[in-house]
Amino acid sequence: VTADRFRLAVSWVLTIGVTVSAVLIALGFAGSLVVGWGGSLLGEPGADTVIADFDGLIAGLAALRPQAIAQFGVVILVATPILRVMTSLVGFALERDRLYVAITAFVLAILLGSALLIR
Amino acid sequence: MFAVSLAAGALGALAGVGGGILIIPALTILFGVDIRLAIGASIVSVIATSSGAAAAYVRDRLTNLRIGMFLEIATTSGAVAGALLGAVVAPAFLYVLLGVVLLLSAGMQVARLGEELPPSRAPSDLATRLALGDSYPDRRLGRDVSYAPQRIPLGLALMALAGMVSGVTAAASAGIYIARGDVDVRIASPVALGVLAGAYLGARLLGRLSNTAVRRIFVPVLAAVGIETILRGLGVGL
Repeated sequence: VTADRFRLAVSWVLTIGVTVSAVLIALGFAGSLVVGWGGSLLGEPGADTVIADFDGLIAGLAALRPQAIAQFGVVILVATPILRVMTSLVGFALERDRLYVAITAFVLAILLGSALLIR
Repeated sequence: MFAVSLAAGALGALAGVGGGILIIPALTILFGVDIRLAIGASIVSVIATSSGAAAAYVRDRLTNLRIGMFLEIATTSGAVAGALLGAVVAPAFLYVLLGVVLLLSAGMQVARLGEELPPSRAPSDLATRLALGDSYPDRRLGRDVSYAPQRIPLGLALMALAGMVSGVTAAASAGIYIARGDVDVRIASPVALGVLAGAYLGARLLGRLSNTAVRRIFVPVLAAVGIETILRGLGVGL
């Protein structure tokens, strides 16, 4: 039973991550058809630069820019596999499978470590 | 663009590879997209295909979470090693090596066309110690089929090689591409939506197909990816 719940939890994390990102990307895409990618659904002045940092993303989201909404969806999509590994870590811990807790922790450490190296 | 991505996603979900690798030539050749932005969109599409398809495969017990996590040791450390060794090892050598491995495994799959059940045999010692054996529900047969993994070190070596190739090319880190502004949502959005829809359809289809039918799809995709990888190593870009 635990193994089944473990599987379903991992599947759920993937489904939710993919669904939320797809909805955001679709909203951004639909918004772009209305006000253009650089526009703002709140009527703020247009900004045509590509959003490449976190501050720009937050500011773009605050102005409801289609580009920022879709970009946020992409960020969630990219984060989904990492959330999946975190879920597996909890799952193996609940199964008291020490070997796989160690294996998963190692993989997660490399994933998070390389994500930090980008900065 | 959505339609092409839909097809790439379905094929990627069925074959387990190819979603992203098909996107790059499609975007550059058919739509005249800049190669840099095409690679950025393909990175997103690889994650979309794999996460979208995996959601279904994990639920339906077609994914073995232990084998997956165990092999990820090799892919992630390989990617880090590749990124660090990028200046030392010639990427061309790694590309050609991986391409040859892909073509060899396509050949091995051809030899197994018509084989509907995994061979019944004892798992290797290492596979037993790692608890890698399991069973999967075969919908066509209407029963569970058990399997016993073998040649674990070879599997690890192949995954490390694949990880190194992506590490050398930084393809492993979607974050790098986003930070560099290579993931342009104007292109990545229709691609991601198409690929997600395609992966969903492909994953639903897989359980209904016979193993032989899946191999008939898998082999040409694997061969095409192998040839593209070798060509890239030899400096012939697509």
